[in-house]
Amino acid sequence: MVIVVFLCLLILAPFPSSLGLWPIPRGLSAGTATVKLSSSFDIHVAFNNVPADLDDAIHRIKTHLKTDTFERLVVGRGSADANSVHRAFSIKDLTLSLTQNVTIRPVAVEVNTVGIEDRDESYILTIPAKGTQATLVANSTLGLFRGLSTFDFMWYHFDGEKYILNAPLRITDSPAFPYRGFSFDTSRNFYPVSDIKRTLDAMSWVKLNVLYWHIADSQAFPLQVAAFPELAARGAYSQEEIYTESDIKSVVKYANERGIDVVMELDTPGHTTAIGMAHPEHIACFAKSPWTKYANEPPAGQLRIASADTVNFAKKLFQSAIDLLDGTMMSSGGDEVNLPCWNEDEDTLAALEQNNQTIAQALDQFVQEVQGVMNANGKMPFIKSDMVLEHNVTVLNNTGVVVWKSSLDAVSVAQRGLRFIHQPSNYFYLDCGAGDWVGNNVLGNSWCDPFKTWQRAYSFDPYANLTTDQQHLVLGGQMPIWSEQSSSENLDQIVWPRLAAGAEVFWTGATLPDGNPRLGVNATSGVNAFARLNEVRYRLVDRGVKAIALQPKWCALRPGLCDVDS
Amino acid sequence: MRLVTLPVVFTALLATPTTVLALWPIPKTLQTGSTPLKLSSNFKININIPHAPSDLHAAVQRTITHLKTDNLQRLVKDRGAADLKAIHQHTTHTLSSLTLSLSGSHTSAAAAVTSIAEEAVKPIGTRSEGYTVHVPADGSPATITANSTLGLFRGLTTFEQLWYTSAGGQVYTLESPVEITDFPSVPDGVDLGKPYRGLMLDTSRNFFPVKDIKRTLDAMSMAKINTLHWHATDSQSFPLQIPGFTEISAMGAYGPDMVFTPSDIKDIVSYAGERGIDVVVEIDTPGHTAIISESHPEHIACLQAVPWSDFANEPPAGQLRLASPATANFTADLLSAAAKLFASSLFSTGGDELNSNCYVHDAETQKMLNATGRTLEQALDAFTQTTHGALRKLGKTPVVWEEMVLDHNVTLSNDTVVMVWISSMNAAAVAKKNFRIVHAPSDFFYLDCGAGEWIGADPTGNSWCDPFKTWQKSYTFDPLANISAANAHLVLGGEQLLWAEQSSPANLDSIVWPRAASSAEVFWTGATLPDGSPRAINGAAGALPRLHDLRYRMVQRGINAIPLQPHWCAVRPGVCDLTA
Repeated sequence: MVIVVFLCLLILAPFPSSLGLWPIPRGLSAGTATVKLSSSFDIHVAFNNVPADLDDAIHRIKTHLKTDTFERLVVGRGSADANSVHRAFSIKDLTLSLTQNVTIRPVAVEVNTVGIEDRDESYILTIPAKGTQATLVANSTLGLFRGLSTFDFMWYHFDGEKYILNAPLRITDSPAFPYRGFSFDTSRNFYPVSDIKRTLDAMSWVKLNVLYWHIADSQAFPLQVAAFPELAARGAYSQEEIYTESDIKSVVKYANERGIDVVMELDTPGHTTAIGMAHPEHIACFAKSPWTKYANEPPAGQLRIASADTVNFAKKLFQSAIDLLDGTMMSSGGDEVNLPCWNEDEDTLAALEQNNQTIAQALDQFVQEVQGVMNANGKMPFIKSDMVLEHNVTVLNNTGVVVWKSSLDAVSVAQRGLRFIHQPSNYFYLDCGAGDWVGNNVLGNSWCDPFKTWQRAYSFDPYANLTTDQQHLVLGGQMPIWSEQSSSENLDQIVWPRLAAGAEVFWTGATLPDGNPRLGVNATSGVNAFARLNEVRYRLVDRGVKAIALQPKWCALRPGLCDVDS
Repeated sequence: MRLVTLPVVFTALLATPTTVLALWPIPKTLQTGSTPLKLSSNFKININIPHAPSDLHAAVQRTITHLKTDNLQRLVKDRGAADLKAIHQHTTHTLSSLTLSLSGSHTSAAAAVTSIAEEAVKPIGTRSEGYTVHVPADGSPATITANSTLGLFRGLTTFEQLWYTSAGGQVYTLESPVEITDFPSVPDGVDLGKPYRGLMLDTSRNFFPVKDIKRTLDAMSMAKINTLHWHATDSQSFPLQIPGFTEISAMGAYGPDMVFTPSDIKDIVSYAGERGIDVVVEIDTPGHTAIISESHPEHIACLQAVPWSDFANEPPAGQLRLASPATANFTADLLSAAAKLFASSLFSTGGDELNSNCYVHDAETQKMLNATGRTLEQALDAFTQTTHGALRKLGKTPVVWEEMVLDHNVTLSNDTVVMVWISSMNAAAVAKKNFRIVHAPSDFFYLDCGAGEWIGADPTGNSWCDPFKTWQKSYTFDPLANISAANAHLVLGGEQLLWAEQSSPANLDSIVWPRAASSAEVFWTGATLPDGSPRAINGAAGALPRLHDLRYRMVQRGINAIPLQPHWCAVRPGVCDLTA
């Protein structure tokens, strides 16, 4: 009797800090036994016709199990566990299976053909304390992929062994929100495809599932599309700083195979000056001075939305981009349009007069036209929140709104009954706090100061101010990097590990597996989320992602000793 | 093939400013022409100096390599494509050689010439870093002349920054002839060779391998920064392996692979010296020493006392038992053994953030104080005299943080160098006490500020020294603010600093560069540009275009310096100004 009670306590105890899972699964029971992987450990799939991308994922994990050298963050590192590892039972096999009667499809197909709210990412992973057989069960290959990501990112290394300290382990997991993204600006400064792929790898390890690709902006147009190759030829920073059609396809495929959807944003009608390098006829107030009057940042320039030619150009541009893109979502952007730009543009004024339109009507029509192209191609359209809240444009009912200016705007979007994703500048902007990049503003700080710490992002409540009836409108959220002050040189450092904070907010949701609130007392204590996030950071560095240190290593090795009140 | 059609002839709507001569720091005097000049593919550098030291030969070889491999295209909209026309004119001359020579008494000296490394570690005030560069427009040999090999090295650094590379691989300038007479500014305008232009790196909170330090030294030398202030140890780890005290790093480093051995240190010191950089090591005492307890618990008071905030400015708590003669002697011996590993005339004993409450609650310390009838301040004074006395025996001049002068009654010799960090406002008070000053103010120069709180369970915490210190903020620093003319001679210079609680090799380059070059120009160029106008930040003729150039050149050399603006702005000087 005493023994039984004791075991129950072990199994029901809150997840231990030595179990560094991120995002923390929604259902988790863990023990205290050490188990290691057998030297002959292998991963088997219990069904035929294994899709190639699932097989590739298995191979990547087997490679990681050989190449990872991350040792547990404890004083003495792995040697602290040497004795228990020596005595531990060995897991010989992980078997993957699908529940009965599901169609076996590639991971990529689950991602790029199924709507964001209709995917099944759930899985059950068990690792016995004394047996030899670990199991992973899911309803889809995508679910298996998520379970594999958990398995991939949980082992400690020491002296040639891979082990955990918390067997038996049973994880019953599924995301709280279907959309968990990263918004990536590749216009202000360019990033090679290799950087994007490394970022996708890291995203997949923390179960992020959308790359929202802000591919072009006023400064550069690196996107090569068949209909208008001159846009990149003249609007990219150089011939080497172009995403060719094969680059785009390669990135989308790479992402999809890792359970990640690519939502390309063609930000329109503002943020389009670079189009004027090849097509000046479509751009109003091109590089007009003073830029502060005509745009939020230099250079000024917006599509001539009142011009039928320009609308047709935009529609063709969207269609040509869509032809490159697998997936069920796309965005037309729409942030920060500037009215003086159009009001002083003779071509725009003439077109408005000819059409007997106001600029607001022209904007409304423009948005409907580009949304129409996306809709006709089966893409759920996304749009930036100011289009809806400030310009009151007509959008399709299935539009997803990107709420960005302030977290407080979410309520207003919800009141319109539209689905949305959270991208609030006051919580999630990874670029804030590095000073003003505009010249001749000597003591200027960034417009969205201060720096958004991981703790700040982690404290975000997706349901804040929403009624229960409105909660279903929240698809999830994404942290963005705007690249005015970022490039290949600091991508990893400015993104990681902070981006992982957003991953847990939207995967785990409000409740930890032990039933306590995620944002309970001391959520960011070194013994709670901070300990697990330190682990994420060291694991990323071990795999070549240059994530910044969150603390002195002394603190990372001693969870809780560097808390404000410790 | 990416480029398929070019349908529309594009007319440039934006005026391209004239070329920017991308020198950083900008020389004290500078005259340039507007004649294109090519660099020969067989370009040679002749050292017209008998018995030239090997580190000068090595520096010349590096310059030759940089000229070949920098491959930096000019930061204009077309990246120099239009320059090809100018440089491929048949009338354009080619520069085939550069001659280095020493001026004055050195020219005929039969004795061996002092090496760059030896010059770099001479006491502040006795170094000669000035030089002249002459690049004729007609292709006749260029010259660099200086009074020392260190000056020649500074001249080579400048020479490297004169050149761009075209898309076809031609190295060229559009601005010959070039005449530069340059030397570091001095705040009081008198004492040549005095300025201290530094970068501080903390290798304790998180560890940095030797290769990261060397890459940083390379970057520093590009901006003529002449001092690495190496905050080597702290409470979190003790990576310095010191002969006679190897147990401290054996037990106090983060791991056996996170130790600087004596040979690592020698390697760093010589690498720095060859690049004109003095390595001033700091072993911070008596605070910031908790980790020494791993091997010597007998010397540490209030070890990991909780709550740590009562006993230290950051965890873990723990300070040397300064009232104990055994601890004072141990510390003096430790510092002496460490000092012998370094060539510099300066050695920092730190002294910041001493927590008196730690000692109030330490029974050992109280027992010592009671036994000797001394106050804590008296004990600190005795402790400091013991450690500084030991360093002086080795010919070292002590460096301390400002609290040792402003907050404590410690007897310090007049030549002690005091680093002002808490606030730029405190420099005047240090000057009034007649100590020499290095500016290291947190409100201008801390590179780590603004990245949020690293302490746990503080969900809304920002960094204590918010906001982020932009390059512009650092660039506006006035070394003589609030300091009387009579005290101006006390200002040695200054440094930007990286405290490494949230930094590691993963982000070293990106958090340091190019921001740390800001103070390099503040302390080299001083308040006045070569044309006599005050230093300005922005506009096509301001500092930003030149700092972009330094950043892009650093990236070409493998230093991951961050972009300061979208590339669109970098190739259009002035167009992204607030007022443009």
